[in-house]
Amino acid sequence: MSSEELQNTDTEARFEFKKEESSAFEAEKGLTEETIRVISEDKNEPEWMLERRLRALRVFQEMPMPDDWPGAPDLSEVDVDEIVPYIRPDIDARGGADNWEDLPDEIQDTFDKLGIPEAEKNALSGVGAQYESEIVYQNMQEQWEEKGVVFCDMDKAVQDHEEILKEYFMTKAVPPSDNKFAALHGAVWSGGSFVYVPEDTTVEMPVQAYFRMNSDGMGQFEHTLIIAEENSEVHYIEGCSAPKYSEFNLHSGGVEVFVKENAHVQYSTVQNWSKNTYNLNTKRAIAEEDATMEWVSGSMGSKATMLYPSTILKGPGATDNHITIAFAGEGQDIDTGAKVYHNAPDTKSTIESKSISKDGGRTNYRGLVHIADGAKDSSTAVECDALMFDNNSTSDTMPYMEIQESQVDVAHEATVGKIGDEDVFYLQSRGLDDDDAKQMIVAGFIEPITEELPIEYAVELNRLIELEMEGSLG
Amino acid sequence: MSTQVHANLTEEQVQKISSDLDEPQWMLQQRLEALEALEDLEMPKVIRTPGRDWTNLDALEFDRFVDPLDRAQEKDRVDAEGVEVLGWAEALEEHSDLIEEQFGSVVDPQRDYLTALSTALFSAGTVIYVPEGVVAEDVKVRTRMNSRSLFNYTLVIAEQSASVAILERQSTGEESVAPAQDGAFDGTEGRRYYSGVVEAVAGENAHIQYGALQNLTEDTYNYQVKRGHAGSYGQVNWIEGNIGTRLTKSSVETRLLGEGSESKIVGAFFGHEDQHFDVASRVWHEAEHTTADLVTRGVLDDEARSVYEGVQDVGDSAWSTNSYQRENTLMLSDESEADASPKLIINNHDTEASHSATVGQVDDEDLLYMVSRGIDEEDATDMLVEGFFVPVLEEVAVDELRDDLETLVSERLD
Repeated sequence: MSSEELQNTDTEARFEFKKEESSAFEAEKGLTEETIRVISEDKNEPEWMLERRLRALRVFQEMPMPDDWPGAPDLSEVDVDEIVPYIRPDIDARGGADNWEDLPDEIQDTFDKLGIPEAEKNALSGVGAQYESEIVYQNMQEQWEEKGVVFCDMDKAVQDHEEILKEYFMTKAVPPSDNKFAALHGAVWSGGSFVYVPEDTTVEMPVQAYFRMNSDGMGQFEHTLIIAEENSEVHYIEGCSAPKYSEFNLHSGGVEVFVKENAHVQYSTVQNWSKNTYNLNTKRAIAEEDATMEWVSGSMGSKATMLYPSTILKGPGATDNHITIAFAGEGQDIDTGAKVYHNAPDTKSTIESKSISKDGGRTNYRGLVHIADGAKDSSTAVECDALMFDNNSTSDTMPYMEIQESQVDVAHEATVGKIGDEDVFYLQSRGLDDDDAKQMIVAGFIEPITEELPIEYAVELNRLIELEMEGSLG
Repeated sequence: MSTQVHANLTEEQVQKISSDLDEPQWMLQQRLEALEALEDLEMPKVIRTPGRDWTNLDALEFDRFVDPLDRAQEKDRVDAEGVEVLGWAEALEEHSDLIEEQFGSVVDPQRDYLTALSTALFSAGTVIYVPEGVVAEDVKVRTRMNSRSLFNYTLVIAEQSASVAILERQSTGEESVAPAQDGAFDGTEGRRYYSGVVEAVAGENAHIQYGALQNLTEDTYNYQVKRGHAGSYGQVNWIEGNIGTRLTKSSVETRLLGEGSESKIVGAFFGHEDQHFDVASRVWHEAEHTTADLVTRGVLDDEARSVYEGVQDVGDSAWSTNSYQRENTLMLSDESEADASPKLIINNHDTEASHSATVGQVDDEDLLYMVSRGIDEEDATDMLVEGFFVPVLEEVAVDELRDDLETLVSERLD
């Protein structure tokens, strides 16, 4: 899909529609050991995976809610028992249909509106589209398959790549004990993507997966596992959007990324969950010697987001870059940031955060930089800029720095300000109206983020912001 | 946790402290209420990140070294023309109504466990009263602690268009009794506890500069809250130097309540050996056209550890706010640790706010340059450390405070 075509799509229509539910299997409401067993059995999982799920369930039941953080979003409405953890769309082909045409019309229609196949045809090397909890469409262009690159849904990976999953799945990067919602995820996870890039392999085009939730009261718990072997390179894109519902939704995904020696992984997300979704994710990367991890995150949707992608710089010379943008409108509380652990010498990290709050929305940058004793000659630079539109909104910045090594270079900077009257006036004097002027200023404000994304995503991000701002200014 | 002290604190002790100071009934009441509240109060908040508490206050073991009736201390109070600098008993005699009105109006006497403990037990008190229009410099209060525990309270009132610069010094007296009588077996030998609460009220167009230099012995645990209210066009400026103590938990705060009010909070610390400084600068913008500037610089040597929290809170009625914060830490040793959390809480968009924080070591190039000019490396490092404090020292208007701070820094470098 060309950027021009995408521009002409009615953005509102693309993000505000909802399909009739039609599911083959719907788990009983509520979360019990029995529910977990049903999920596992229905997926025909090996015994070890069932055991991991049950262990995670026990951790979940024991852990407290993260409600003692200063300024944490209100999660009191999150009632896990009300979430149907697992819904499998009514399709025959488990593990994804191989051809777009084989998908049910309704699902095709949903993804058509999101522009998936066009995007794939044009630029993307593989698309895993998740409708409800399972990957229903999988495709990997042949050229990558020949090189040994694996891109498949996680349920398939449990069957086909059992040994790798046994080693990596929620054992090293995101153990269920990390936080209550990671534990929940470990118990009820379903769907998601598995990406394996062999040594010395560069995946030149981005790998993309699109997630959607489309059932009332449904939680989505997809798991993404990316392993980039030595000297490999891959860019993974995750996009999320869900239609609006009256009942609340819970999204609690898990992402684990292993960046081996001298490998390079970029993980990009544009999140546009509906305004009643609680988006509570755990994302973590482990970077080995001279590896580079890059997180690019746009948080536009959801009622409340708590998301702090983190990287453990385990090997000497490893690098981590975060670029994050948060946009909170009416009723939204976007609490997001980054965590970096410098656990080896000569490691570097940068965090660049941009947030915009308007119409009573709240953004908070919450970040942690930890430099361990012995991580000599490490450096970190954190920059947070916030733009506020009005007096009902809130913009908070809460960075935490723990520095246990003296031979380091640590810098943190943050600014908060309103949209500049003079800038708006200047643009108006050039013939733009107030709304357009402000949109242009916002587009400029977030440009450092958009320029990191492939053109389709950058355009989509700009369109989403345009949509957020339409009619609410003036 | 909060029940631990109770065992050896009684109402009778509190009554004795109060009657020794000839306090009126309302003050005794304040103390007894604070004592009673101890049971339900929590320790002051400390920053928590996954798996870590930045300061462990529970390790204080207050019941072991707080002796409420051992109150030995010495105070020098140097007043300036037109300013009344009064001891607690005398102040109550002369300004009872004013004190009753202001006591606890800035710092909640039951804000947390340690503040309530201070309210119940303070025996050393000072009131600095600056009547309308009086302009004074060089008010000095020097406290020497000669006991195992000491609870100090200071109230500063500057009336309309008054201006005052105050210097407070806290040190341990040479005649200090050997603390911890039973230290031989309870493991608390040599430990002391100092607690200080300062309330400052600046009326319309009044200026208060309050400089404090803390140089207590390194067996002392120290808890301090300093908080000011600034009225319209008023200013409350703080300077806080921390050199001594084994553990300091200190918060310096200003509420900008009046239109056009301002606050500057300047902090300096220099930790060595196993010292732990947990310091905070906090400002609340609650009116239009207010300005705040928070500047802290600290140096850490040996296994010393610092925890810094800075808060700039802009309320939704604080139109046209300017708020700035800078924190810089210099680490001289690999064993030291510097934790920092500069926070912005912004609820009004008509704000220009920024903060920055850095942690680093002595710049190699600076050092190389100086060594190449014939200065040996140790002297060069010392000079760079002294230079590091210059931006903070420049903010100090009281000569004695600046000189003392400089002296203490260079003594520590020897």
